[in-house]
Amino acid sequence: MKVRLDTYRELGISIALVVMIGVFAFINPVYIRTNNLIDIVQQSTVNGMLAIGITFTIITGGIDLSVGSTFAVVIVSVGMLVTNGVPPLVGVAIGIIIGLTLGIVNGLLITKMKLQPFIATLGMMSVYRGVAYVMTGGWPVVRIPREFRDLTDGRVIGEIPVSVFSLIAFAIIAHVLLNRTRFGAYLYAIGGNEQATRLSGVNVDRTKVFAYGFCGIGAALAGMVLLGRLGSGEPTAGITYELLAIAAAAVGGTSLAGGKGTITGTLLGALLLSALRVGLIVAGMDSFWQFIATGLVIVVAAYFEVIQQRLRFQRNKKPVVTP
Amino acid sequence: MDFAIEFQHVTKTFPGVVALDDVSFAVRRGEVHALVGENGAGKSTLLNILHGGYSEYAGTVKLNGTPVQFRNPHDAIHAGVSKVHQEISLVPNLTVAQNIFLGYEPRMGPLVDFHKMNRDAENILKRLRSPLRPDGLMVGVSAGEMQMISVAKALFHDAQVISLDEPTSSLSSAETDALMSIVRELKEHGITIFYVSHRLDEVFDLSDRVTILRDGKLVGSYETSEISRAELIRKMVGRDVSTFATRKQPRRVQPEVVLEVEDLSSPGLFEDIRFSLHKGEILGFAGLVGAKRTDVMRAVFGADPVVSGKVTVHGKVARITSPMDALERGIGLVPENRKTEGFVRYLTNEANISLTCLRRFQRLGFVDRSLRRSNADTYIQRLNVNPPRSDFPTENMSGGNQQKVVVAKWLSTQADILILDEPTKGIDVGAKAEMYALLEDLVAAGKSIILVSSELPELIGLCDRAVVMKEGRIVAEVSADEMSEELLLNYAMEGVAS
Repeated sequence: MKVRLDTYRELGISIALVVMIGVFAFINPVYIRTNNLIDIVQQSTVNGMLAIGITFTIITGGIDLSVGSTFAVVIVSVGMLVTNGVPPLVGVAIGIIIGLTLGIVNGLLITKMKLQPFIATLGMMSVYRGVAYVMTGGWPVVRIPREFRDLTDGRVIGEIPVSVFSLIAFAIIAHVLLNRTRFGAYLYAIGGNEQATRLSGVNVDRTKVFAYGFCGIGAALAGMVLLGRLGSGEPTAGITYELLAIAAAAVGGTSLAGGKGTITGTLLGALLLSALRVGLIVAGMDSFWQFIATGLVIVVAAYFEVIQQRLRFQRNKKPVVTP
Repeated sequence: MDFAIEFQHVTKTFPGVVALDDVSFAVRRGEVHALVGENGAGKSTLLNILHGGYSEYAGTVKLNGTPVQFRNPHDAIHAGVSKVHQEISLVPNLTVAQNIFLGYEPRMGPLVDFHKMNRDAENILKRLRSPLRPDGLMVGVSAGEMQMISVAKALFHDAQVISLDEPTSSLSSAETDALMSIVRELKEHGITIFYVSHRLDEVFDLSDRVTILRDGKLVGSYETSEISRAELIRKMVGRDVSTFATRKQPRRVQPEVVLEVEDLSSPGLFEDIRFSLHKGEILGFAGLVGAKRTDVMRAVFGADPVVSGKVTVHGKVARITSPMDALERGIGLVPENRKTEGFVRYLTNEANISLTCLRRFQRLGFVDRSLRRSNADTYIQRLNVNPPRSDFPTENMSGGNQQKVVVAKWLSTQADILILDEPTKGIDVGAKAEMYALLEDLVAAGKSIILVSSELPELIGLCDRAVVMKEGRIVAEVSADEMSEELLLNYAMEGVAS
């Protein structure tokens, strides 16, 4: 039986999650009522989708800071379309195409113009945000039709909204892409050693462009989920969401140096952050404490990563072992 | 006799290799002492010991008659032993003076006294007769001037002994002349110079005495005036050939040319490169550090932008502008640096081996893992990779086994032209022997191989022909019959037969 380090990591977060739920449930039993648990999951859908997308770019050793702005562009443009009579499903398709396009633009800046991912997407974060403002003149888009809202916020089974199933579907697709396709294999290879991957005859540029495109799709889906849930869309939506998404990925074991990361980890990370936030509210803590708690979770998770590295290093120092 | 440095019975071992074996010799105060030897003879190891790079070794090093053991380069510098590095380590965005004083800036209270720093730097530069301005930035500073700054840095630390490790390998001939006069200048100031170089002209021009190392052992120290160039080369290579893999039967090289390179040039790197590779042949590339063999190979493989020239593969003109093109034409490259270019860390053997050929394992858009695994298993078995596991992380294996994985990566593409750049660098003797056997097998199976190697016995033992490069040009082509270490080294160092 082979046990990968990733598995330990995921096990670790799962344990942390269970312990945390136990503690909050002890403080206030309301916390583990079905409705509250559904609430936790629902609250993690937006961040989860953004985080899954951003995980793809982080695995390549890059980053996409523009997800929050892409998210806003999709919200206002899809919002404007569906309020003007475009059928909901067509709106969703167009939203996905917009997200994909903005992501590909990022990818092209990074591969063709050879910009550093941080700078390229920092620039586009501002550009896309500006686009969202310009499109609506700064006003929110309101009165989203019921049919569109039902696509994401409707209830299928009991009280669980559609968006939770969308997240699961999206996660499965992302997981399969990462683990079962050439694209996924190349993403990990590029993050581990871009030079060696290029010298292996892999089309590194194209792979990276796809990664950013996929990240854009994640932002688009997240945007449409929020649009459906709130019934209105603002061009200011999603400011600082990129940081929360990066946090979820990092807590889930995705290395910002590239080459490592899983969808399960990222999902657990998003869930953990959401459970923490809801827990603090239920426990009656002042909402300002959320920031402190979230920050500490990120730092502690990062420290676990460092300890893990150190253990691995020590193991490697021993002479080569033949099993 | 007044010695600046004495090495007494110095032995240094690495896992599986004896890098220095009971080496004893002394450097007189105020002389220019040259240290020569082939790649892997132990020169760098010796310098590292002298300068605190390796603090664990057997034997004694004496400085001015007192035993010393430097724990790090810092200690050595404090004791007056400085080194001018082979790869120059200067910070490009600082001024000349800041580089010289880096880490030892004169202070005025908590602030850096730039005025004093620039004045002191100016004095040192004047002593070296350098036209450099102390407050000038490093932008546009040539390799020769950087060398100068490194020497200035050593002088600032009041160095009594200065080592120069291949100082001219990246210098133009005018800059080399300038450096030569600096060395003479330093000698006049009573500074002892330890000079490591491949270039015999410099060794004979500059040095008072010369010490020869071979395979980690001392051959001897000689007065430079009492030894001839031919004798020096002979002593450098006089290896016990029987310990090495020697050619068994003559190989059947077929007349068919699989790769032809004509007039390949890249300004500033190499010029007019032309050679051809036959089916079933191992073509060697000999040369010293800085001969630009790696650059030629990267250009042929499409890893570096192609300049001018023509490459023909299997009789068809090939425009290879990326590794993707090379892969398509059936050319594989096992790069010089395994860790940074050969394999991907975090990945398993299976993933590394399949990186070049995932397309083949694709079924309906998904990677068929069992195909991928069985491919990896095939090569792991064939190349005798240890541990023989496809799910083992490549980075946790020994160098020799990592190298096998990199080779396997190209074998599984069915590439029929393989370029191997220093494939046995840093791997142990047993793994080397396996690598040689593998190369023999491959050419017997009709593959064609270009072997870039700095180990002459390796080239002689394996190659059907060898091309010798010197400073970006091909200076000779040597057939298997005439190949000898002496001849190859003569071409590589002197550009002519003798």
